[in-house]
Amino acid sequence: MAFKDLRQFITALEKTGDVVKIKQEVDWDLELGAIGRRAYELSQPAQWFQKIRDYPPEYTIFNGSLGTWRRLSIALGLPPETPIRELYAEYDRREQKPVKPVVVKTGGCKENIRVGDKVDLYQLPTPMLHEGDGGRYLGTWDVVVSKDPETGWSNWGMYRFMIHDKTTLTGYPAPFSHLAMMLSRRYIPKKQPMPIAIAIGCEPLCHMVATAGYGINVDEADYAGALGQAPVELVKCETSDLLVPAHSEIVIEGEIAPDKTAPEGPFGEYPGYRSGQTGGGLLCQVKAITYRTNPIMTVIALGVPPDDSSIAASLTAGLAMKRRLVRHNIPVTDVYVPPEGVTHLIVVGVKKGGADVARQIIEIFTARRAMTSKVIVVDEDVDPFNMAEVLHAFAVKCHPGKGIHVTTFEGRANALTPCYSPEERRKLSGAGVAFDATWPLDWDPNTDVPVKSSFTGTFSKETQEKVIKNWKKYGFK
Amino acid sequence: MKKEYVTFVRDFKSLPQGKEIEITIRDLTPGPRKYDAKIVKAVVSEDPARMPEGDLLWLRSATGVLSAKPWAIQVKGEVKGFLNLPPYSSLLRT
Repeated sequence: MAFKDLRQFITALEKTGDVVKIKQEVDWDLELGAIGRRAYELSQPAQWFQKIRDYPPEYTIFNGSLGTWRRLSIALGLPPETPIRELYAEYDRREQKPVKPVVVKTGGCKENIRVGDKVDLYQLPTPMLHEGDGGRYLGTWDVVVSKDPETGWSNWGMYRFMIHDKTTLTGYPAPFSHLAMMLSRRYIPKKQPMPIAIAIGCEPLCHMVATAGYGINVDEADYAGALGQAPVELVKCETSDLLVPAHSEIVIEGEIAPDKTAPEGPFGEYPGYRSGQTGGGLLCQVKAITYRTNPIMTVIALGVPPDDSSIAASLTAGLAMKRRLVRHNIPVTDVYVPPEGVTHLIVVGVKKGGADVARQIIEIFTARRAMTSKVIVVDEDVDPFNMAEVLHAFAVKCHPGKGIHVTTFEGRANALTPCYSPEERRKLSGAGVAFDATWPLDWDPNTDVPVKSSFTGTFSKETQEKVIKNWKKYGFK
Repeated sequence: MKKEYVTFVRDFKSLPQGKEIEITIRDLTPGPRKYDAKIVKAVVSEDPARMPEGDLLWLRSATGVLSAKPWAIQVKGEVKGFLNLPPYSSLLRT
């Protein structure tokens, strides 16, 4: 395993200069969120807040675990400067070998246990992250564990939860998320409360896999083990049979009510806008809080990219989408999810393009959960990871009349997409579009396809080799 | 010293005034319990001058935009429990 727990990861970030310890007292009420946001926007190190207003010094907050490609590389145990394409390749390679977790008798998260009457969520220094949020969000960079009582599937997801009162949370796992699906199929019909556990401050790869869209009945813990190349240690909760990462800094154990609700949201979300509204959230009655001594609460001051969410999702969504296209026999070369596109904009490289392929791709991406709304399809001569090349291809190869393929749908759109009207967001109705930046298949390559006027496109191999060989002699470095 | 609260409503003008309503409010008293929520029975008024004995109630829209001025609120009592509605219900007054 690259790191056993969050503390080892922070130590590694200290060695490379990728974290700053903030010793000055910081107000949990907006100041901390503003610092975190500005740090993301200026590509600054992660922040470990050592002194939180109203709270004793043993309670600290860590923002920005994977907010840069450098920090993500470090989390994977790779050199900080690892190129994005190599990160994708290494992640893909490791994911091929899932590693089952091991269950241990105890772990750091059991050092302090508060059950029943001893539960008080205000004991934790939960920040008010953005002006206008519905409340104090305790679950932002979290791992929410739930279990299918019929199949035993243990689902990990990253879902937001805010404090309602000292023993109650409200949350917003999207209505088509795995957790919501499990709740609506297994618990609401029987009017039974659904046990969940919210693990905060885990080893970073646990959080990373929680952001990923693995399929139904797939245990994310196996993939955290794959990425870390060692089994994740899990420990049983105090009030349910759920298993959580044993070295989590904080674990909140609770039950989601099948028939009750309370206000939740809005929240400054991952698309970079406070695009949601206050609504009836999932109501979670907290049964226990367990935590390490001197607990470190992980958060994300979410917003415009890049941040932990957009960086992590670039990798996890990109690879999942590539596999999906391969399964549908699309001649895909690579898929890149630029963090700036916050999973709304995807770049797909194909060996052979054309209108049919572009249409197929957008249909595949919007068939079930339409989190993506725009796809740029590029030919093999364009590097999908090079946004300058992608933008050039889009600008000159996408026919404004024939190369734009739109599909519309109801009931599965992303409610947080800022360009949707309030009514569209409520109805989950939306649209997807493929921008076909590939040459039409019926164009004759000898007469119809324009020749790319670039070093590799225009000049003979001989000339290229000569120029490369003499490059330094010309006076270049 | 008046207490201050905040609540979220879809349309500021639609909040019934001068009669008892049930409303979720968050306590803005500084300290570690700031933003604690409770459901209360209360009477509200757009004009704090008409309710001099009331506390202050800040309104935010469903998307979190703050009203220019606070309203007044008189809390009559706390309502125990939660809203008996399924998750994902639309809660706000239209």
